[in-house]
Amino acid sequence: MASVKLTKVKKVYDNKVVAVHDFDLDIKDKEFIVFVGPSGCGKSTTLRMVAGLEDISGGTVEIDGEVVNDLQPKDRGIAMVFQNYALYPHMTVYDNIAFSLRLQKVPEDVIYEKVTNAAEILGITDYLMRKPRALSGGQRQRVAIGRAMVRNSKVFLMDEPLSNLDAKLRNQMRAEIILLRQKLDTTFIYVTHDQTEAMTLGDRIVIMKDGYIQQVGTPTEVFEMPKNLFVAEFIGAPKMNIMRTELVAEGGKYFVTPFGAKIEVDGEKGKALAAKGQKSAAIDLGVRPEHIVLAKQGEGIPCVLEVNEMMGSELHLHVYTEDGTRLIVRVPTIGLDPAERESLVQGKKLFVTFEGKVMHFFDTESGENLLND
Amino acid sequence: MNETLEKRSMGLRASRTISNTIIYVILIVMSVVWLIPFFCIVLQSFRIESTWQVGYVIPRQWGWDNYRALWNSDFKRWYLNTFIIALAVAALQTIIVLCMSYTLSRFRFKMRDGLMRFMLILGMFPGMLTMIILYRVLKDLGLTQANAVPGLILVYVASSGMGYYVSKGFFDTIPKSLDEAARVDGATRAQVLYKIILPLAKPIVIYTILTAFMAPWGDFVFAKYVSFGTSAGMNVAVGMWSWLQQDMIGQKYTMFCAGGVIVAIPVTILFMCLQKYYVEGVTGGAVKG
Repeated sequence: MASVKLTKVKKVYDNKVVAVHDFDLDIKDKEFIVFVGPSGCGKSTTLRMVAGLEDISGGTVEIDGEVVNDLQPKDRGIAMVFQNYALYPHMTVYDNIAFSLRLQKVPEDVIYEKVTNAAEILGITDYLMRKPRALSGGQRQRVAIGRAMVRNSKVFLMDEPLSNLDAKLRNQMRAEIILLRQKLDTTFIYVTHDQTEAMTLGDRIVIMKDGYIQQVGTPTEVFEMPKNLFVAEFIGAPKMNIMRTELVAEGGKYFVTPFGAKIEVDGEKGKALAAKGQKSAAIDLGVRPEHIVLAKQGEGIPCVLEVNEMMGSELHLHVYTEDGTRLIVRVPTIGLDPAERESLVQGKKLFVTFEGKVMHFFDTESGENLLND
Repeated sequence: MNETLEKRSMGLRASRTISNTIIYVILIVMSVVWLIPFFCIVLQSFRIESTWQVGYVIPRQWGWDNYRALWNSDFKRWYLNTFIIALAVAALQTIIVLCMSYTLSRFRFKMRDGLMRFMLILGMFPGMLTMIILYRVLKDLGLTQANAVPGLILVYVASSGMGYYVSKGFFDTIPKSLDEAARVDGATRAQVLYKIILPLAKPIVIYTILTAFMAPWGDFVFAKYVSFGTSAGMNVAVGMWSWLQQDMIGQKYTMFCAGGVIVAIPVTILFMCLQKYYVEGVTGGAVKG
């Protein structure tokens, strides 16, 4: 139970490669923070600097108001779960979980109580006397979590804990982590490259790229108001459609003109543009696949269906427009007429249009969202 | 169709049997050739009708005389010397080698690569080159002749840090995240080494102990010049070698054989108990432990 504060934290490797640039973040007590980004973005490095497994090249890390830069991992009051579980192969599950308590010279009866209690919560009581190699991936990850649980640490660090699990198990464990978080009621820092995990688990998400923070915000914020093109494309699946087009200001109203169509920007977005005094300009327009809708024949933007992915509850239509731009359209199957659904085959000519309320506008040079503060 | 399959599988089985037979025959012949000298030595050690070398293998009179004579000779002293040296070297060298390997495997420090390269090159020079200067140093320290035992321990242990290759290679195969997990769990670096790494590297620890024990156990050259003719400072190899001189061999030949048998016993027992680990250790770099 502690706040974590990172101030201008920097990581420079011996070969002068800068992995993390001036990382500033205030993590509140009991907050669940997720670092997300593609591989090599510095998210794991940052986590490892908080853990004390990596030297901090510049800046400070504070846990509960205390600067921990020069403290050993064991003295930082943290617990960590690793991607590859990092269970001690020569010890039983019980000994694995008890390891840290034994190092602290906790009496055996207290250890027994804590270990069995943690095992109970995680549902691994039956495996306590087994060696890690006799466990499945999901069970191993539970043991790793159990090992971190018994330490009663102030901050819980998780480095891609679900990456080694298969998809089904990952979904299940994700839900369990949410429950676990409620039980433990402590501060979490969670690293992942999977935006779904980030969105479902995090109170706030830190999106990173090339060692820089791109955006910090709640899942809703980063989804609805991405600061730049990178965040816009990274968050959300399938990813946002981006197209180069014109933003036209006309008599207090705003229009976008993708592929010859003219679509009005209405609602909040239009007001926000007006408040900014935005002038006509070339922009990168971002539209999420669920915000592109099929239009009546002859209306909107003409395009040709290339691939139809049936996802069950929805269809992902990959289409290309007359100038060859590829777009992804997400169509819920529930309202779809069966005859129409069957007709969506490769080569079919379709017309689509965009929902004006939920479009995103990015600067063509910097990639920044035009509506940024 | 089925018939041809059956024929083919029979052919496969037959050719496997043939090749196995050939392999076993070769192996048996090799081990017989290998074992004959040992067999002869054991037989000679029980021969009591003459202490001379003779032209036959099976003794005409059997007895324990040679072993009794060993007990009443300087051999006891030599054997004890060798044992003390080998034990001390095994203990010290194992500690040094394992710490060295752990350091080179896990820590990144300035000149680490330089140090490893330097030791590699240093190891290419034959140890014999240092003989004269080592003798001078040991003599100045008063660790030659009657005091050869501590002197020899010093010589053997001094360079042991350079024998880190095999164990470092093995340690490298143990995932670093285990170290990190243990350190987060509250272990010091030393605790990581003996609570996590060493139990996982058991084969390599045993391999290190064995090689550290074996080298001084059978050493002759260094032991010879450090003891420099003083019986009290000799190990078995040097001591027994003196029995093979022209003036001695006639009286001591069968005793020499008996000594050889006694020298071989602890090493043989060690190997029989630990060969499983030894083989794992030698191949350990390739197969994850």
